[in-house]
Amino acid sequence: MELSLLEVAFNALGVMLEPERLMYLGLGTVLGLAIGIMPGIGGVAGLALLLPFTFSLDAYSAFAFMLGLGAVTSTSDTIPAVLFGVPGTSASQATVIDGHSMAKKGEAGRALSAAYAASLIGGLWGALLLGLTIPVLRPIMLNINSPELLAFSIFGLSMVSALSGSMPLRGLAMAGFGVLLAMVGGDPTSGQQRWTFDTLYLYDDLPLLPVALGLFALPELADIAIKRMAISQTTKYNLRDGMMMGLKDVLKNWLLVAKCGSLGAFIGAIPGLGSAVVDWFAYGYAAKTCKGASETFGKGDVRGVIAPESANNAKEGGSLVPTIAFGVPGSASMALLLGGFMIHGLVPGKAMVTTNIEVTYAMVWSIALANILGAGLCFAFSGQFAKIATLRYTLVIPGVICIMMVGAFQASADWGDLFVLLIFGSVGWIMKHMRWPRPPLILGFVLGGIIEDYMRISYQLYEWGWVLRPVCAVMLIAAALSLTQPLLSKVFVKRETLALPRFSSPVFTKGDGFSFAFIAVLVWMIWRSLSWDEEAQGPPQVIAGLTLALVVISLLWAAVTRRYSDGKQGAILDLVADMGELTRPMVNLRALQFLAWLGAFVAVWAIAGILVSALCFVVFYMRVQAGESWRMVTGYSVVILCLIYFVFDQGFHISWPETVLGTWFPVLQAIPTM
Amino acid sequence: MKTLNKVIATVCASVLAAGTVVAGGHGSVADFYKGKTVELYIGYDPGGGYDTYARLVARHIGKHIPGNPNVVPKNMPGAGSVKLANWLWEAAPKDGTVFGAISRGAPFEPVLGNDKAKFKANKYTWVGSANNEVSVCATMKKNGITNWEQLKTQELTVGGNGSGSDTEQFPKLMNAVLGTKFKVIGPYGGGADIVKAMEAGELGGRCGWSWSSVKATKADLLASGDLVLLMQMSGSKHPELPNVPLVMDLAKTKEERQMLNLIFARQALGRPFLAPPDLPADRAKALQDAFMAMVNDPAFLAEAKKMDLELSPLSGAEVAALVAESYDTPQAVVDRAIAAIR
Repeated sequence: MELSLLEVAFNALGVMLEPERLMYLGLGTVLGLAIGIMPGIGGVAGLALLLPFTFSLDAYSAFAFMLGLGAVTSTSDTIPAVLFGVPGTSASQATVIDGHSMAKKGEAGRALSAAYAASLIGGLWGALLLGLTIPVLRPIMLNINSPELLAFSIFGLSMVSALSGSMPLRGLAMAGFGVLLAMVGGDPTSGQQRWTFDTLYLYDDLPLLPVALGLFALPELADIAIKRMAISQTTKYNLRDGMMMGLKDVLKNWLLVAKCGSLGAFIGAIPGLGSAVVDWFAYGYAAKTCKGASETFGKGDVRGVIAPESANNAKEGGSLVPTIAFGVPGSASMALLLGGFMIHGLVPGKAMVTTNIEVTYAMVWSIALANILGAGLCFAFSGQFAKIATLRYTLVIPGVICIMMVGAFQASADWGDLFVLLIFGSVGWIMKHMRWPRPPLILGFVLGGIIEDYMRISYQLYEWGWVLRPVCAVMLIAAALSLTQPLLSKVFVKRETLALPRFSSPVFTKGDGFSFAFIAVLVWMIWRSLSWDEEAQGPPQVIAGLTLALVVISLLWAAVTRRYSDGKQGAILDLVADMGELTRPMVNLRALQFLAWLGAFVAVWAIAGILVSALCFVVFYMRVQAGESWRMVTGYSVVILCLIYFVFDQGFHISWPETVLGTWFPVLQAIPTM
Repeated sequence: MKTLNKVIATVCASVLAAGTVVAGGHGSVADFYKGKTVELYIGYDPGGGYDTYARLVARHIGKHIPGNPNVVPKNMPGAGSVKLANWLWEAAPKDGTVFGAISRGAPFEPVLGNDKAKFKANKYTWVGSANNEVSVCATMKKNGITNWEQLKTQELTVGGNGSGSDTEQFPKLMNAVLGTKFKVIGPYGGGADIVKAMEAGELGGRCGWSWSSVKATKADLLASGDLVLLMQMSGSKHPELPNVPLVMDLAKTKEERQMLNLIFARQALGRPFLAPPDLPADRAKALQDAFMAMVNDPAFLAEAKKMDLELSPLSGAEVAALVAESYDTPQAVVDRAIAAIR
C-alpha cells in the first residue's frame, strides 16, 4: 500500500512536469507574486478574472495555474510588510512587527531573505504533510465537528496572552473589543441589526480588509510621513551578506520552521480560520516558546519573521483539505478554485482521496513547485527590493497610499471601506503611540464571528454537553493554561513572589484619555444594545460588559500604582512608536496633517474620481512635501495612473462610485472612473 | 426536461427571429450600443453560484445585443444583494448600459417586511432568469426517515445559513404550514458546510438545496442510495424527480398555498437578471430579447454544460409576472408567513 501510494505520488509529479503544465504553473506563480505585493488586492479578484481562461486548458494545467496563483501570494506579501509595515495580504500582518523593525534597523535584506526561505520550507512542509495524510484525511475530518472547531477557535483566542506582552489587561480588553467588532452587523439568528448605524454597509458585518489595513498599515505610513525620513537610515550589511544571514537564520531555526509549518497546515484546514489568523497563531506561538523572546520580539527579532512566514505558506496545502475532501471551501479563493475544479469534472469528496488520488497528488506537487518557483523569484529580486527601504519618503508614500486606497475600496466597492480604513487608521495610530497592543484586537475580530457561530450551533445541538467531548475538553484546558501561563510560570517556574506594588490615591494622566474614550464607546454600545430584540441582547452584552470591566480595572490599576512606580512602561508585543527627536506636539500636528492629506484624497475621489484624486495626491504630495523635481513627479504620476487604469479599471473592473462631477456633468463621465 | 426545453427552444427561436427583425428595424438601439460598454453588476462576491451564472451571461450576452456592446461583470456585494437592488432602483443610470444579477429572494424582501429594501420589485425592467431552481429537502438514509410524512412526528435537525437564508426560511415555513418538525441549527458558513455536517452525522439533513448542486456534488451519495430526498420545493416538479413530493401539492387550504407561494415563487426565477426601472422601451426590449437569444446560442449552451450549470430560462415578462403576483398577496397571508420564518 505504502509503496503504491509513493508510486502514485511520483506518477503525479511526472504529470506535472510536462512543459505546458509547468508553463501555466509558472504563469500563475508570477501573477500570484504580483497580486501579493499589492496591499489590499487579494488573490480572489485575480482568480475570478482569470478563471474563464482556464476553461479551455486541460484539468492539470488549469489547477496548476490556479494553485500556483494562490500558493505564492503569501511569499511576496512579505515585501511591503517588511519594507513599509504594510501587509500585502492579511496573511502577513504578524510579519510586520519584527520584519518592519528589522528594515528600520537596516536589515531589510536579511528579513526578506529569511522570510522567503521560511516561506519556501514552510510551503514544502505543508505540501508534504498534506501528501502524507491524504489517505486518512476524510475520516479525521468527519470527526472534527462544530464543537471541536469552536474549541480550536477558543484556544486560538487564548493566544492573546502571548500577544499582549506585559500588559495582559489591555490585551484582553482589546481582544474583547475585537469580538464586539465582529458582532457588528446582522445577528445571525434573529436578524437584529447590531451597531450598524442604519447603514447597508454594515449589514454584512465589518469587512476584515480595511480594518486590518487601517490598524497596521496606515499607522506605519503615517509615522514615515511624520518623521519625513527614509524608512531606514543605514544599511547594516551589504546585499550578499544580508541575504546569506537570512538564510542561515532559517536553517538555524529549522525546528521553529517545521513547527510553525505544521501549525499553518493545520489551521489552513479549518474552514473560516485560514489566512487572517494563521500568522498571528504562529507569531504568538514563537513569542511564547522561543528563548529570550520576551526581550527581543517586537524589536526586530528574525524569529518573529520566520514563524509567521513558514506558517502562512503552509496553510495553502492545509486549506485544500476541506475543499477536496468535502467540497467545503475554506475561503473565497478556495470557492473559486472549487468552481474551477468542477468545470474540469473533478468532484470533491471520497473519490479525490481514492480513485482520483493521482489528481490530488498532482495538486500537492503544484503547490510545492509553485513555492519553489515563487521563493526563487523573490530571492532573485530581494536585493533590489531591499533598496526601497532607503528611498526618500516622498517617493514611497504616494504610490503605497494610492494602491492601498484602491485595495481597501475594492473589498466591497463602498465608501464605507474608505471610512473604515481612515477610522481604524486613526485608532491604530493612537493605539500604537499610547502602547495599546493591536494584535489581540485583530485576533478577537477574526475569531469572534467564528466563535459566535460555532457556539450557537454547539449549544443548539448539545447544550453545554459539548464541553465534555474529548477534543473540546483538552483544547479548553489548553486554552486556560495558555491564558494563565505568564502568571503560572512566574510563580511555579521562576519562583517569583507576587508582591503587590505600593498604592496611592489615583493619579490620572493625559494618556488615560484613551481609556476614557474606550469606556465611553463601550457604554454607548451597551446602551444601544438595550433596545434590541430580547434574544439578540445576551452575548454582545456579556462581552461588552467584560471588556468594560477590563478597561476600568486596567485604568484604575494604573492610576493607583502610578505615583510609586519606577516609570518604566510595560512591554507590548507590537511595533512601538519611535519618533526620534520630534516633540510630541510636533508629532501630533504632523499626524493631523497626514490625516488631512488622506481626507483630501477621499474628498477629491468623491468629486472627480480615483484617477483625478490619485494624480492630485501624487503631484501635490511630492511637490509640497519635498519639492521633488517635475520630471520625477511626471514619471511617477504616469506609472501610478497607468497602474490604476489598466490593472484596476480595465483589468479588475472595479465598480467605482459615482462622483459629484460625473453626476452634475454627465459629459465628464467620458473620463474613466469619473 | 427535454420536452420543456423543446417548447422553450421553439418559443425562444421565434423570439430570436422577431428580435433580429426588430434590431434590424431599430437602428437607433444598435447605434446606441455600438462601441459602448454595458456593465453587469453582481450582488455577491466572486465565487458563488450567482456570480458564476452572471459571469457566464456577461461573456455571451453582448453578441446578442444590437450594436454588440462590450459587457463587463462587476461585483457589488452586500446585504444578500439587497444593496445592489437598491442601487439599481435609486442610483444606476437608466439608459440601458447597466443591468444586474441579484438573488432570487431579494425581490420579495420589501413584501416580507425588510425596511432596508427600498424598492418595488414589480417596477424593475426584468431581463430574464437563467434557471428555474428546484430545491430539495434531503437526509441521510442512516437517519431512518424515508418520506416527508414522518417529519410530522419525528424531529429532524437541518442546517441553516442565518436569518433570511433559504435553508433557514424553508424549513421554518414548512413547520408552520405543514406541521413538520424541522429543528433549524445554525448559522453554518455555507451550504457545503451543512452537507459536510450532515455526512459527519452532526446534522440530520439539509432543506433548501438546489437539485442541480446535489447532482453536481453528491452524485455518489445519490447513486449509493445514502441520500434520501424528502421533498422538492418550487412552483412545479423537476422533470427528473417525478416521485419526490412537491411542496405546493401538500398545502390543504388556499391560504396555505398562498403562504407557500410567497416563499417558493422565487425558485422559479432562480437566477434573475434585471435592469433599473423606466428604461427606454426599445432598449429594455433589446436586453430582454438578447437574453432569450443568448440562452439558445449553442456556444452559450455548450459552456453552461461544461460548467455544470442547469438552464431552464424564463423570459423577462415571465419573471415580471411572478414577481407581480407575490406583490398581490393579501396582507394577512404575508403577516402569517413573516411570523413563520422569523
